[in-house]
This record gives sequence, structure tokens and C-alpha cells, in this order.
Amino acid sequence: MTRVNPVVLRTRWLPDAVALVVAVVVAFPLYWMVLGAFKPAGEIESSEPRPWTTSPSLDSFRRVFGQQDFGRYFVNSLVVAGSVVIVSALVAFLAATAVARFRFRFRTTLLIMFLVAQMVPVEALTIPLFFQMRDFGLLNTLGSLILPHIAFSLPFAIWMLRGFVKGVPEALEEAAYIDGASRGRFLWQILFPLVFPGLVATSVFSFISAWNDFLFAKSFIISDTSRSTLPMALLVFYKPDDPDWGGVMAASTVMTIPVLVFFVLVQRRLVSGLGGAVKD
Amino acid sequence: MNLRTDLRWTPWLYLAPALILLGGLLVYPIYQLGLISFFHYTQAQVSGGEPTTFEGFGNYTELFSDSEFWQVLLATVLFASACVVSTLAVGCALAVLLTRVRAVPRLALMLAALGAWATPAVTGSTVWLFLFDPDFGPVNRVLGLGDHSWTYGRLSAFFLVLLEVVWCSFPFVMVTVYAGIRAVPSEVLEAAALDGASQWRIWRSVLAPMLRPILTVVTIQSVIWDFKVFTQIYVMTNGGGIAGQNLVLNVYAYQQAFASSQYGLGSAVGVVMLLILLAVTLVYLRLLRRQGEEL
Amino acid sequence: MKLPSRLAALLAAAAVVTACAPQTSTNSSSEKDDKSGTLRVWLFQEVGNKPKEKVVDSVVAAFEKAHKGTKVDVEYIPIDTRAQRVKAAFNDPKSAPDVMEFGNTDTAGYVKDGGLLDVTKEFGAWSEAKDTDPTAKTSVTVDGKIYGAPFYVGVRALYYRTDVFKDLGLEPPKTMAELATTARRIRAAKPDLYGLVVGGAYTYGAMPFVWANGGELATGKNGSYASAIESADAQKGVKAYTSLFTDDNCPAAKCAGMGGNDTITAFAAGKAGMAIGGDFSHTAVEAGKVKGEYGVVPLPGVTAGSIAPAFAGGNNIGVLKSTSHRTLAVDLMEQLTSKKTQASMFDAMGFLPTFADVRSQVAAKAPYVKPFAQTLAAGTKFVPASPAWSQIDSQLVLPTMLQEVISGKKDVAAASKEAAKKMNAAFSSVG
Repeated sequence: MTRVNPVVLRTRWLPDAVALVVAVVVAFPLYWMVLGAFKPAGEIESSEPRPWTTSPSLDSFRRVFGQQDFGRYFVNSLVVAGSVVIVSALVAFLAATAVARFRFRFRTTLLIMFLVAQMVPVEALTIPLFFQMRDFGLLNTLGSLILPHIAFSLPFAIWMLRGFVKGVPEALEEAAYIDGASRGRFLWQILFPLVFPGLVATSVFSFISAWNDFLFAKSFIISDTSRSTLPMALLVFYKPDDPDWGGVMAASTVMTIPVLVFFVLVQRRLVSGLGGAVKD
Repeated sequence: MNLRTDLRWTPWLYLAPALILLGGLLVYPIYQLGLISFFHYTQAQVSGGEPTTFEGFGNYTELFSDSEFWQVLLATVLFASACVVSTLAVGCALAVLLTRVRAVPRLALMLAALGAWATPAVTGSTVWLFLFDPDFGPVNRVLGLGDHSWTYGRLSAFFLVLLEVVWCSFPFVMVTVYAGIRAVPSEVLEAAALDGASQWRIWRSVLAPMLRPILTVVTIQSVIWDFKVFTQIYVMTNGGGIAGQNLVLNVYAYQQAFASSQYGLGSAVGVVMLLILLAVTLVYLRLLRRQGEEL
Repeated sequence: MKLPSRLAALLAAAAVVTACAPQTSTNSSSEKDDKSGTLRVWLFQEVGNKPKEKVVDSVVAAFEKAHKGTKVDVEYIPIDTRAQRVKAAFNDPKSAPDVMEFGNTDTAGYVKDGGLLDVTKEFGAWSEAKDTDPTAKTSVTVDGKIYGAPFYVGVRALYYRTDVFKDLGLEPPKTMAELATTARRIRAAKPDLYGLVVGGAYTYGAMPFVWANGGELATGKNGSYASAIESADAQKGVKAYTSLFTDDNCPAAKCAGMGGNDTITAFAAGKAGMAIGGDFSHTAVEAGKVKGEYGVVPLPGVTAGSIAPAFAGGNNIGVLKSTSHRTLAVDLMEQLTSKKTQASMFDAMGFLPTFADVRSQVAAKAPYVKPFAQTLAAGTKFVPASPAWSQIDSQLVLPTMLQEVISGKKDVAAASKEAAKKMNAAFSSVG
């Protein structure tokens, strides 16, 4: 268990140093991945692995981008992840408000059901979902990826947002009604902005799981590969005979960057909003 | 407006979109999952090569009479517990650390953690496996371990996977708990610090109780995810380790059932997993309720 | 009135159960046989796929010319998603292709799934069919009926380092016992090399040891198989293989988890004196550090001058039952697996042809084929042609057995008995 030393004014630099060291340790595997993407083929599996390379090459990236339809896959992933995040956030916000702010029969049961939904191993559900997607006529379309992802990210989002909604004081709500605000106005113009940091946090999670998934893409996109997503492009490099490690690292780097960009964009929002949002 | 009737319908109105989506896309498949577990249902049945046959509890008997299932179950429980405890410890400690450092180190740690969180599980597993490679990996180099194989021994293989799981899971805990700490009124924290309480004491007596709702969510989520670990074990122990010594339940289900399209048996494992997780969660929630935490 | 109400309840329950049966798809043969339109083909994507694509393109061009009004749409599937997509194709005929390539160990399973079309008639009428290698023919036959055409075959032999052998004054081993002693001598003289690099998860590298000793994987045919892996002969073979995992040849800690590809990677990187590799490993080895310093001989059997029976892997091309272009699809299948195409495929990708005469043709052109052709001629073995094989394979029954012995968890007798139990359970579960 990591213990943080007692904060004494004299050793203010110690926590900073610890944080930096931890950051380096945590980032090292990432660095290794990016390094592997830039190493020329001969160096990757050499017997003298070095944490640097003297001849960085863009070859692996060329192989990744040169893949058939790579741009398409990228766009598909963006569309799927984006749709999932937006729809999921809105629906979960409404549902979380309902369970956090109102008392009604079955409230506890519903909450437990939302938890149960996350306990099933997803692989077990692919066949029933496959037939559903087929019956809805959604096979081989992006819809077959968007809908299940929304469904799978909702339970988690509702649970997380519930906490944030609860954190908004009831006094605020009462005051708003006294001032004559309608229910809808309170919901969207007062509660929504206050809970926004929480929405951002859960969006991050929905984005990652939709972005990195390949189980659904593998199972529901069969005949129309132009609808495939980015992780499938990554799998191509895992050839059984001779995995293209440079290609794997390059593809993984390409996959990780948009998520990091998304993070950086929302991180300031997330952290700054939190401080102010929940204070009385 | 009539507030009374208004109040009665409103929550259900808000819940409607969620219930429709979940009802259609989760409830039905989960129901099918339960149903399938009572049938002999393989690829041959699915694609129409053979008719389905009702098997009653046949799949469950087959499962429970396999001694390997019980070993794997025990291993999964122990492994998941270790992962949850480690992830929570690391995440909470770093969350507290984040509150005490200046902007630059905080940003560095946040970005590093978010990077770890963003890495696809397949890639993370491959990179960690490579870092610990007996011949080529830097870890053995730096620690001077020659060509010690981390994946050969049962415990060391589990340890390796645990490191990767903690690495990619702690950011979630860290960010969420950090957000929670930021929401605690600063006067409370300052008062405790002025009283000369140590960091650990502050955590234990002040922060943890105030963060209980968040810690509850984070713990339950971690338990669910770590119990269902698949990719990391599959990639890092080459499908379950030497002679299957590193199998966890999800990988076992894949190997025994899904890989050869025996969906009936696989669904039975899925149902068992669901019931176990449900039991654990309910017990945990009841404990909390007894401590006064309302759901 | 107890009886009728109980009966009613039972009937109701039965009705509920059957009404609530899990969803299935019907994959019955399509009635249509369009003589024009678009044919969809799924082929495997290989490492360095371009040469394969070129050959296929020329076959397709000739086919389209010969059949006016027909277009052929070829897709290359990466191996990782292959199994999933084939099953999805069986489940949704609308997404399915007309013709597809598949591994020969999958034939029985796919037939049971109801996905492959019975082409016994057409195959019998095909002029080139009579020259098909008998083992290749077995791999497309299930219950006496034919479900595809062999595309290429692959076998394994012994790769060895000519420079190391010259250095130590060694000769390629002529018996299995010699194989073990030679391996130990290599490692004793050069401790940084494995003698014979072997893998605990390398089933097809271990099987020749079992077969050479007279053991079998399973016995029986056409629907009822019984495991034979616990017989005394088979155990001898298992013992011979697992005794190679010692510190004086290939230490268990490093080698127990290796699969076939790992062993070839090690050999190509110059870390082993010998390895068991396939004709398909030729490219990888050529690209490695050991280029120009290795040779290949057939894997020796138990007695001097004999060759250990190898596993005849390979791919077939078949037509899906759901196709609506039956005649055209079968014709395309024959074109893709014809002698001419197979000869071109060898030039392009090094795939061994499934016709003995074409094989001797290419062996004359490329001498490296010789030991593999010899191995094929000496007689090869196949896995039990039962749909249970895919279960046995994915449950890692054989690798687990090998690894249990190697890691000392069980002795050979106990491990092979356990493996036999699992295999029999699989065989009986598919009926």
C-alpha cells in the first residue's frame, strides 16, 4: 500500500517528486509502445532492447495507414464512439435524476437491476444479440455497434451520475421552484450544468469502451467490411506466424491518441468544474 | 400544475428512454442467456444443422462435475480480490497525492494515468508481457535476473497480470476519488491538517467516511470488472498458463465453451458468474445499509 | 380430476419450453441456381498476401471471361477474425459468401454446422480429381461425402543448422533416439543454443513422436471415435517428446509455453540447433538470421531410415450451402484448386500442391520442397474427422497434457489418461 508521507511545510517538494516518479513509472509502458512504433523492423525483436532508437522510422505507421480502408475504420470508430457518448449521457442523466431525486416503488430494485446488467460476461450475449440485430435489420451496419454499446454503458453511467445528482443540494431545487421555474427548466438549465463534470467523467468511460471494443465489430459486421472499426484494423497485425510487432505498436498508438486528445480536452472541464459545482 | 400526480409520473417519464433501451437490448439477451443455458445449443443448432434439445440442468451438471471448474473459480475469486484491493489502494493513495501537489506534477500524473486507461487491453497486455520477457525484456535486464521466466510459475504469472490490471484500472479509481475529495469542503480538510493529523489519519477518519458513496460505487465496479478479466489473462498467459494453471472464469468459459461454439455450456457459466457477482454485491450492500448508508 | 389437469400443466410447460426455444437460423440449401450475378469469395489473408492476390486475380479474370454476366468479388480475411465470421455467415445466409477457404481440420465441424455444400457429384465428375493426394481427399471427406476441394497441403520436417553441425562434426539424425542425443550434444557444446527447440503447446510437433511409436490420437471412423492417447505406444511417444524439455536441451521454464510459431521464431533468430518446422515456415526462416546456414531433412522415425508420420495440414476451398449460384460456385471452386492454379500458388506463396504430379513438378524447380515431398510420400496422418475435434482443439486438451508432464504436475500415464477422458467426453457430446 502506497503511503504518502505526512505533509510538513519543510518537505513540500516530496509529494511533487513522488508524483513525478509515479507518473514516469505509469507512463513507461506507453513510452515503450510508442517507441516500438518508431523502431525499425530489425530493432524490435533484437536481443539488446534499448529504451531509445537511433534510427526512428515511419515504416510501421505507413503499414498502418496504408491498410485498405484505414481512414474509413477511423471514421466509423469516431461515429460509433461519438454517438454512444452523446446518447448515453443524455439517457443516463434523465435516469439518474429519476433514481436520485425521487422516491418510488421499485427504485431499489431498479438500481440493483442496473448493477446486474453489468455482471454478465459480454461474450455470452453475442449470439442472442446477433439474432436481435439480424431481426432489426441492423447487421453489417454501424447501428449494430452503437445500440449494444449504449445499452452496456448505461448501467454504469446511471450509477455514477446518481452520486453526482445526489450531491446537488435539494435546497437549490426548492429555491428554483419558488422562483417559478418549471420542472423542465430546472432539469436542463440548472441541474444539467451542475452535473456536467460527472457527465464528462462517465462519458470518458463510455468513449473508451466503445472505442476499444472489437467483440461486437467481430460478430456483427460480416459482409460489409467498410463498416468495420479501428480495433479490427489492429487485429490484422497479430498474424499467427509472424506478428508484425511494429505494426501492432503503431496501430495501438494511433488508436490511443484520439482517446488522449478527448481526455485532454475534457480534463480541464472535469477538474475545474468539480470544485465549483458541488459547493453550497 | 397538480404536483401530486405530476410527482408520481415524472420519475418514470425520465426513466423511460433508459428502460426502453435496456429492456430491448439487455433484458431480452439476458433472458435468452438463461434460456440457452438449459439447452444443448451449439453452432450446429444455431445455423440450423441440427435441432435444439432441451437439457434441463444438463449443462450445469456438466459444469459442476468438472473439478477444473472449482479450481478455476477459487483462483478467480482470489485473483480478483487481490486486483480489487491493489487497485483501490493505489487509486486512493494517488488521489490523495494529487490533492497535495502542484499543478505540473498533477498534470503529469493525470496524463500518465489517462494514457494507461486509454490503452486498449490487448496492447497493454502485449507491452507488459514484452517488458517482462525473459530474453528481451528490460525488467530482467535492470533487475539482473538473467532469463527468469515470469510466466512459468503460477503465482508469478498471476502477479504479472495483476500488475497490468492495476496499471490500467487505477486511473478510474484515482480520477473518481480525486473528484470526490475536491468536492469535500476545504475547511474540513484544513481543520484536520491544523490539528496535526497525519495523512493516513485524515484519510481514515475524515475523507473515507465522506467519500463512502463514491467508494462504494468504485468498489462494486472494480469487483465486477476484475472478476470478469479476460484479455489480460488470455494474452499474457497464452490462454490460461502452463497446463491451465492461470485460468480465470471468463477465460475458462471461452476455452471450454465459446471457442468451440458450445453456447449452452457457455451460457451456464455466464449465469453462474452473474449469480456469484450478484450475491457478493448484495452482501456488500447489506453491510453498508447496516452501517447507515442509504441506497 | 387430477390427471387431465396435470396433463394440461405438463402440456402447457412443454408448449412454453418449445415456444421459448432459443433462436436458430435455417441454413437449408437455396433452391436457386443463378447462372449469372456476383459471386462472393472469402480467402485467407496471409503474411505477404500480394502474390496470392495476383494469382487469384488471374483466375478470377479468366473465370469472368468464360462466364459472361458474372462478377467475382474476393475478400481476404485476417486469421484472427476468421472463425467468428464463418460462424456468422452460417447464421446469416444473407451475409454469407458463395465460396470460402477453410482449414482442413474444420471440415467436419462445418459440415455438422450445416454450412458446407455436398459436392460429391461434381468432384467425382471433375477430371483432375482423380490425381488428388489421398490424404488431401480425406480432409474434404466426411461420412463418405465430399465437401470441398483441397487447396494446399502443409507438412513439417526437421530444420537443422548446417554450420553448427559442421562445427561439431554431426550428421542429421537418422532415428528418434539419435535426434535426442544430437540435440543434447549441440547444447552441451554451445550452451546458448537450444539443441532441438520444442514447444509444450506445439501439438503438431509432438504428434509425430506419438505416431512414430505406433500410437494414435483416436480410433474409429465416421461418427464414433474413441481416444487412443492413453495406449502404451502413444505414451511412449509422449514420453519421448516431453523428455526433450530438460535443461540439457530446451529448459521447461522457457519452452513449456511455446507454440509452433515460437519455435520457428527461435530457430530463425539463430537460437536453436534444430527445429520442427513446416514447408510454410520456409519464408520466415529465410528472412531470419540463419539464412543460408540451414538444411531440412524429414523427421526421422523410430527405426533407421524411417520417416516419422507427419500431420497433413492444409486448406480447402468449399461452397456454402446457402449459395444461390450453385453451378457457378462449384466451377469457381474447381478453378481455384486446379493443377494450374496450385502450381502458380506454389510459385507465389510456397503452398504445397495437393496433386502428387504437380508436387514433383515443383520439387524439381525448388529443391527445398524435397524433404517435405518425401514426408508426404511416406504417409501422413490427420486428426479424427469428427466435429468434436474443434472442441478438443480449443479446450487445449493435448497442450495441457504435454504441459502437465513437462512441468511435473502429472506423470505421462496420468496426464494421458486425463486427456483421453476429455477427448472421449467431447466425442460423445457430438454423438
